[in-house]
Amino acid sequence: MQSSYGQSHRRAWAILASLAALSICLPSHGAPKIENTVAWADDLSPVVEADWSYELAAHLLERAGFGGTPEEIQALSDMPVSEAVNRIVDYEAIDASALLDFEESGLWDPGMDPFPPSRAEAVRIARSEGQALGVEVLSPGSSRRLQPVVDKFFYGLRANVLETRRVALWWADRMVATPRPLEEKMTLFWHGHFATSETKVRDYRKLLLQNKTLREHATGNFRDLLLAVMRDPAMLVYLDNGQNVKDHPNENFGRELLELFTMGVGNYTEHDIREASRAFTGWTNDVLEFRVDQDKHDDGMKEFLGKRGAFDGEEIVDIILAQPVTAEFVSSKIYRFFVREGPTAATKTRLANIFREAEYELKPLLRAIFLSRDFYSAHSVATQIKSPVQLLASTYRKLGLARAPTIPDFNAQTRRLGQTLLYPPNVAGWSGGRTWITPATLLERGNAVREVLFPQDPESFGHPDRHLPGIYERVAQRLAQGMNITNATRSGDSGSSMLADADEEYNTRYGGYRGYVLAYERIKLVPRQAAEFNLAAMVRDSGAETASEAVDHLMKRFLRTPLAAADRDELVNLLAKDVGSQSLVVDPTELETALRSVLYVMLCSPEYQLG
Amino acid sequence: MDLRHLARIPRRRDFLRQGLNGLGIGIGLPALLRSTSNALAADALDGGSGSNPERILVVVELTGGNDGLNTVVPYRNDEYYRVRPRIGIRKDDAIAISDEAGLHPSLVGFERLYKDGKLAVVEGCGYPDPSLSHFSSMSFWHTGVPNGGETLGWVGRFADAYADAGIRNAVVNIGPSQSLAVRGNVHPPLVFAEPAQLRREGSETEKRSIASLDLNADSQNPTLAFLRSVARNAADSGALVRDAWSSYRTPVDYGIAGGLSSDLRKVAALIAAGLPTQVYYVAYRGNSFDTHVHQADLHSRLLMYTADAIRGFMVDMGRIGRAADVAMMVFTEFGRRIEENASEGTDHGTAGPMFLVGDGVKGGFYGATPSLTDTDAGNLKMTTDFRRVYATMISEWMGHTDTSSILKGEFEPLGAFS
Repeated sequence: MQSSYGQSHRRAWAILASLAALSICLPSHGAPKIENTVAWADDLSPVVEADWSYELAAHLLERAGFGGTPEEIQALSDMPVSEAVNRIVDYEAIDASALLDFEESGLWDPGMDPFPPSRAEAVRIARSEGQALGVEVLSPGSSRRLQPVVDKFFYGLRANVLETRRVALWWADRMVATPRPLEEKMTLFWHGHFATSETKVRDYRKLLLQNKTLREHATGNFRDLLLAVMRDPAMLVYLDNGQNVKDHPNENFGRELLELFTMGVGNYTEHDIREASRAFTGWTNDVLEFRVDQDKHDDGMKEFLGKRGAFDGEEIVDIILAQPVTAEFVSSKIYRFFVREGPTAATKTRLANIFREAEYELKPLLRAIFLSRDFYSAHSVATQIKSPVQLLASTYRKLGLARAPTIPDFNAQTRRLGQTLLYPPNVAGWSGGRTWITPATLLERGNAVREVLFPQDPESFGHPDRHLPGIYERVAQRLAQGMNITNATRSGDSGSSMLADADEEYNTRYGGYRGYVLAYERIKLVPRQAAEFNLAAMVRDSGAETASEAVDHLMKRFLRTPLAAADRDELVNLLAKDVGSQSLVVDPTELETALRSVLYVMLCSPEYQLG
Repeated sequence: MDLRHLARIPRRRDFLRQGLNGLGIGIGLPALLRSTSNALAADALDGGSGSNPERILVVVELTGGNDGLNTVVPYRNDEYYRVRPRIGIRKDDAIAISDEAGLHPSLVGFERLYKDGKLAVVEGCGYPDPSLSHFSSMSFWHTGVPNGGETLGWVGRFADAYADAGIRNAVVNIGPSQSLAVRGNVHPPLVFAEPAQLRREGSETEKRSIASLDLNADSQNPTLAFLRSVARNAADSGALVRDAWSSYRTPVDYGIAGGLSSDLRKVAALIAAGLPTQVYYVAYRGNSFDTHVHQADLHSRLLMYTADAIRGFMVDMGRIGRAADVAMMVFTEFGRRIEENASEGTDHGTAGPMFLVGDGVKGGFYGATPSLTDTDAGNLKMTTDFRRVYATMISEWMGHTDTSSILKGEFEPLGAFS
């Protein structure tokens, strides 16, 4: 299949090249001719100064970051190409001190660590020790004597969900605000590569710590990054390595290390997985600190990928990195993230060579990709489907926003589109590419953009991070009516509401309700505000004076591949009809509304899904 | 219990005869779709859509690797209790349905189906050279070609071979993203998690403008061509699904809300609305069955939700008079290691039971019970190639006899349908 797809793909571009003389493709301002960029496919030699243009710079910013305004793109294209790429890659030189640190709500208190795996376990501890999670049970004979522990357990669950969402919003804001877009883009790449989710980790501190680790090593050395991840508390918890002990090795960690993080399936045996897992026995964490439990570490002889020795985890990592396939697996995945699907065998080999010769330093690889003709070829430009996070973050950056708005809610929006930061679907991360697109998500992508262009006002938007689910809303209402806990928490609406309060150890539903309430008291409220931008000013400042010039400016600002002529004309007509004439001399508010309407239609197009 | 609206639920046959207009559904649809749907309905009546056009297959995926040994419990087997001292299902707790096998106590829904003769248990399902990786193994089950590098899904290939090329929505996949199983060449599956998602926001003017974008334009950019084809599908099917869902009410209990039960209710709504869909694909998502740690409570809940939802769905099918037309197939990517692990859970394993559900199913046990002692390094040796089960659904249920070109080999059906 791969080959037949490749053939039709190639054929398609050959036709395109032959049509290039009619100049129906890329906008012409200084851009290389299309027949040249088609031939650039699989050519890793660098583009030359004469090729460098606004269009190429726009592509670089789109892929290496989250896109930008015409002014930002122009500034990049005004530099020599090597300088432009260095500016993207060597971002440490750019001052980012204005970016905000995450502001913690302070939800953990002493006694909550280690957090029990289930409510049942919390209750067992409370029964046997008289306290758990930092709270004491009530005196013997009291009704619901374990209730404080159950409340605290549900508080822990809920508070971590809310705080993790705040971390995700903080990160999304960084993507929009950062002067170092590649730093966040690579952090996002590693988050998909070394995927861990709040649903299992249940501790925002570990996720925040991992996010910082990924950022710290984002474009550093892959060996350092890999070892840091193998010692990362969120990953150790996510892959159950706390249960990987000498007498009962748990293979989750070893398996994913080989299959997903380094080599890819088919390059090792089940035996290698078992032996690698033995080498990581005892690697565990004390809450936020990595620790090796020597008593549980298997220091016996292992046979791994043809080598014998009493290997520990670090030595296993070095054996893995010595395999040629590792450099190829990782560099090809980076290529697919930044360039396109299906690198040829020759391209894979060349990328792997660059990566290995640089001893797994990431910057030489990234620089080679961003300079290559292949990266700027017609096969690559505007052929990638934006991830939901990319779609929103780049929409904000193209609007010229300095911060990510909190109306609409970034997490709620991206979740509907199939991607939630800090909640990847499984350890393999997001599949990406065409899997982002279904009939439902394609419609939702347009709807999401509309909520940006026509945002709700803060009053009606309210605070979605303060809603009680229906069942707890009912509990709250019944308690407010003066009902006892038994009546307030019974299911359904039928039956007596005059039940005597039950004599029980605890009430689970009440605990769930209390967990929400306690979490809402502790977790900082996300201030809600919509984006402020002025399309009319953007259009005017571009020099546009007519409806068609305005539409062309919006296309230049937002699309990496133009609309078909008929579709463009439809938008021009829509705008002219809305403002009553071809000229844009109308009331500014009216013009702004009309432009937003036209932009909404434009961003619903299949073309806008491409980056 | 209000069953009054029953009379209004169109039968699929009605749908085929009258097209959408005849049912009053087509009024709000674009003219192009109206005429298309009538043409398609006519095609379908002419027998253009396979051998058993009334029949529907519902595939249920349990993601994460369901622990088969604690699902269909060998409650007479001492070895089972030896290797699972802490998490084994006690003999007294298992629901005995044969001299050797008992269901997990949470599978009350399956017990009912079994007693009614509507549940078949196919034991020891797997494939040669099993992978213990979720992703590899699931992709083998999805493609139906283990270790083969196939890029289309078995449901997709089946629909391509079976359903008339003009049928819209021959395959519906409920979920946030498209499963590899439904990927085909001819039939773009309709994929959605929530019916409300299939709605375009905006003013009437905006919506008209969006609808006027030319989605049929050729593009030399293959990704753009793909996006346009999905956009066409979205534009055509959105109203159909939303109407089906918003008009659907059922008094039947599918168990706890959310997850599989919600998704099966959506399937029921579409079937009740008379969509021409022949395969529905749903999943218990989120790698839920990956029970490495403290699995007892968790697994018990997972099985209860699964069995309640499946039984509820079949009861609902009976209520709307479609029980005879629907069969379900339940699978997971692998079973789990025979021996429990140190953390009262189980690690990735190999073979496991599959379940077939429906009025047409000949209830009982199929396939040999895998041995707990003659193992493959502590994993079960499979006794039934899962592709035999696929072949059963394709030929015995759907009536498409050429299974070998779809499954890329000869696989003998089980004789599980009457």
